[in-house]
Amino acid sequence: MTTPLVAGLLAGAILSGTSLLYATLGETLVERSGIVNLGLEGLLLIGASVGFALTAASGNPWLGVAGAAAAAASANLLFGWLVVTRKANQLATGLGLMFFGFGVSALIGSRYTGAVISGLPRWRPAWLGDVAWIKSTTLFNYDLLTWLAVPVACLAWWVLFETRWGLGLRAVGENPAAAFAAGRDPAALQYQVLPLGGALAGLAGAHLSLAVTLTWSEYMTGGRGFIAIALVIFSKWNPLWAIAGALLFGGAEALQLQLQARGTGISPFFLDMVPYLLTLLVLLAWGGSRRLAAPASLGRTFYGSS
Amino acid sequence: MRLKIAALSGAFVLAGVLAGLLAAPVAFGQTPGLIIGAVYVGSVNDYGYNRSFHDALAQVARDLPGVKVIEAENVPESAAAESVLENMIQQGAKLVVPTSFGYADASRRVARRHRDVAFEFAGDGDPERNFGVFFGSTQRAMYAMGVAAGKMTKTNKLGFVLGVPIGYSLGNVNGFELGAKSVNPKAKTVAVVTGGWSDKAKEAAAANALLDQGCDVVSMHVDSPATIIQAVEARGGMSIGFQSIEARALAPKGWITGLGFNWAPFFTQIAKDVMAGKFSGQAIYRGLGDMVVIAPFGPSVPPDVQTAVKKAGDEVAGGFNPFTGPLNDNEGRPQLPPGGTVGLDQMGRMNWYVDGVIGTLR
Amino acid sequence: MRLAPTATRPAANPLAGTIVRGFSRYGLITVFVLAVFGAVLLASGKDPLKAYADTFRFTLASAYGFSELLVRVTPLLFAAIAVALPARLGLINVGGEGQLYMGALAASAGAFQLAAAPAWILLPVVLLLGFLGGAVWAAIPGALRAAKLVNETVSTLLLNYIPPLIVSYLIFGPWRSPENSGFPQSPRYPKAALLPSLFDTRVHAGLLVALAGLAAYGWLVDRTRWGVEMRAIGGNPEAARRLGIAVPAWTVAGLALGGGFAGLAGMGEAMGIAGRLQQSLSPGYGFTGFLVAWLAGGRPLGILLMAFLFAVITAAGDILQISQGLPYAVVNILLATILFVVLASRSAPRTSK
Repeated sequence: MTTPLVAGLLAGAILSGTSLLYATLGETLVERSGIVNLGLEGLLLIGASVGFALTAASGNPWLGVAGAAAAAASANLLFGWLVVTRKANQLATGLGLMFFGFGVSALIGSRYTGAVISGLPRWRPAWLGDVAWIKSTTLFNYDLLTWLAVPVACLAWWVLFETRWGLGLRAVGENPAAAFAAGRDPAALQYQVLPLGGALAGLAGAHLSLAVTLTWSEYMTGGRGFIAIALVIFSKWNPLWAIAGALLFGGAEALQLQLQARGTGISPFFLDMVPYLLTLLVLLAWGGSRRLAAPASLGRTFYGSS
Repeated sequence: MRLKIAALSGAFVLAGVLAGLLAAPVAFGQTPGLIIGAVYVGSVNDYGYNRSFHDALAQVARDLPGVKVIEAENVPESAAAESVLENMIQQGAKLVVPTSFGYADASRRVARRHRDVAFEFAGDGDPERNFGVFFGSTQRAMYAMGVAAGKMTKTNKLGFVLGVPIGYSLGNVNGFELGAKSVNPKAKTVAVVTGGWSDKAKEAAAANALLDQGCDVVSMHVDSPATIIQAVEARGGMSIGFQSIEARALAPKGWITGLGFNWAPFFTQIAKDVMAGKFSGQAIYRGLGDMVVIAPFGPSVPPDVQTAVKKAGDEVAGGFNPFTGPLNDNEGRPQLPPGGTVGLDQMGRMNWYVDGVIGTLR
Repeated sequence: MRLAPTATRPAANPLAGTIVRGFSRYGLITVFVLAVFGAVLLASGKDPLKAYADTFRFTLASAYGFSELLVRVTPLLFAAIAVALPARLGLINVGGEGQLYMGALAASAGAFQLAAAPAWILLPVVLLLGFLGGAVWAAIPGALRAAKLVNETVSTLLLNYIPPLIVSYLIFGPWRSPENSGFPQSPRYPKAALLPSLFDTRVHAGLLVALAGLAAYGWLVDRTRWGVEMRAIGGNPEAARRLGIAVPAWTVAGLALGGGFAGLAGMGEAMGIAGRLQQSLSPGYGFTGFLVAWLAGGRPLGILLMAFLFAVITAAGDILQISQGLPYAVVNILLATILFVVLASRSAPRTSK
């Protein structure tokens, strides 16, 4: 029996949206401290390639996941050193990180292209697996990273809004000088959040290569890093809203292919534009209020002064 | 300040002199009998298309003494390829193999500038003095694959993932559906396009979408079948492979059969011709039994299906052309009149889906 | 922006001073690049000296190689201006890719519509359309920013992805080439629309347009009243507004002008190199152009030198892949490293944001 469109769409949205969610969470945390990282795409690629390489070499996907998180965290620390200590321009450094990610991921991945892995194991609770219309789909048959995605988002929200550390982080993002005067160390807080954000981005990349595609190819992330950057704004720098955003965008990606598989006449290229147009429309619609939701000193010159 | 200028200028001059000195001896290394230059659109480790060429050329280098192969991977299908091709010739290549359709313009331009270098272009078009075109015709062989799919399917819905909807790919889908219909008139093929030869995330999503739609047998025309086959296997579907017969290792339960390329004999002959100075550009399209081979069957394929597939394969190898009219496309328009055919050299121009394929081309 | 030298040492010849300062900074960057590249090669198990020799032989030391460098430089010049010009206003344009494809698209439309026209009509038309295509596409983020709705960094980024999809749609559909191979591309442009090539190489007239554009950009920013207004906005938009400068209008115009140059890059690649509209016109010139502009501090001479340096590096990547089996990816690492080092040094070029 064929899956109803909604179920297929939901399944596809979760498949595509998991890595988007992790990437968005990582970037949200970092941006909350006032730093914008345009090199997120590079971090995703590093995560995907390192994760795949380690898994192919060792046969253990968990090693791959851990390695991906560690590698991306380190790359983000390098980015952090340039931006926090050397006070370099955040945008240029971010783009540099992107190129760095292109190159490093290609080098690491090239030795393992074509390797076959079984990837992250999937698991579905037995009682759900017996339901007829669920059984034939991929719904609720997820790997650990997907199961943990929403809990991690909730955890991120809690840390950001319900802990002292989160409060300090947000204060730094709003006004580092005031935070400093109040006894917090902006640089220390930024140095703490950067590897955390990097690790989340690494997990996003690992999910892509270890759970979705089960392979590696150059530039595999296909711009997801940039969509995630837009999703951060879309979700008003709030990890809970990021869940909705990731689902929406994962869904838009899946919609195109589900519609093709049903034989609709819409050009796949136009369908492909939907995620980007959708983001822009949303940003447009809530333009004013979203700008006010941004951490006031994000990127320092990120928003200019107008 | 002046010291800084002087030091810098001195450094540049020194670097230039050094480079120049070193450049000279490099030109006179020992020259092997033949240098073959190959240009790939992806990575040679792709378990698929690019690997098939890499393996074949490596075989030639092993079999013929004095042959060396230089390669460039991940070269974009654009005018940028021209400088890569020129570079290979500057490094001494006398036989150049551009392996992807998108290198057509660049290759022809370079070939016209270097009439002393032989080119074998994987694609179509008119051959020239030093420019041969070739391809392994899989479209008719896909008929035999369709026979396998038509017999194995329980839902009568087959899935096909295309990377780029060029004529060759469309021909593959059509051949597949024609074969399936010939043994199972209710069989339909759902065709989904990812938009790129190697977009892994889309391929995974496409495979899942096809399975969601009820397809239980999936085939494909993308650079590497690995992602799709693995996605299908994970959900208990059956797959028919393409590009490389090694892909069957990826689907221990669901593998039915597949097609693969074997370019080695062809290239061996061409290399011998070039070394003997007898090369002349021709259009060479060979199919099943020569450049194209059928993969071994999977464990779940019953003997009667195997027989049917082998029979269809023999018919194709013997000259049977499934693309014989009358044939309508899937919008009801007649595309081939009774008795009309699509020849091997016209496959690149195909731009319609045969009746029974679900999909749009716009 | 450097002001006059300190009073204790009057410059005997300001032009010479500029040239020397420029060359010593870019010279240092170049020497540094060579050193880092050598280290990377050693780490990959390759021979750096042979690599330099190969690179030199196939780029600077050969006429064909040098012409190929110029081929690479042309779109980089355009893409760098596309970033540098709005940057004077404090605007970030990371949408070069999309603007490039829009320019190619618009110019293609003109070439196909007016296929029968002679070259003296068709060439200016495609030039103009190429510029307009990119300009209009960049004006959208400009307008959004001027209306304080969306930050231009994000909107230019997002808009990168749409033009290549439109190109794909067209070349698979209404503009599909009727030729045999079915490879997705448009038919060839009419000969009259093709940019003339120089000296029978792949270098095309677009290079001249790019150099002229660079000069125009330098003149606009350094020697006109408009340039002063732009820099005022870039320095302090509030103050500029109070002085009566039309900041919103400049926001749109600045991005549009920048986008126009990126559009010219696309037109150049389509009409000067490829000869038809294809999916893969740009290997990321929009982003590389950003790096070039940034490293050059937005200065015209710097843009020229850095574009040249990047051309050599990317050419080396191609060459070394074939001659030494070095993966092209190393080039990206090299570019990133150069940028990181420049960013990390305290005397980093002061950009206008």
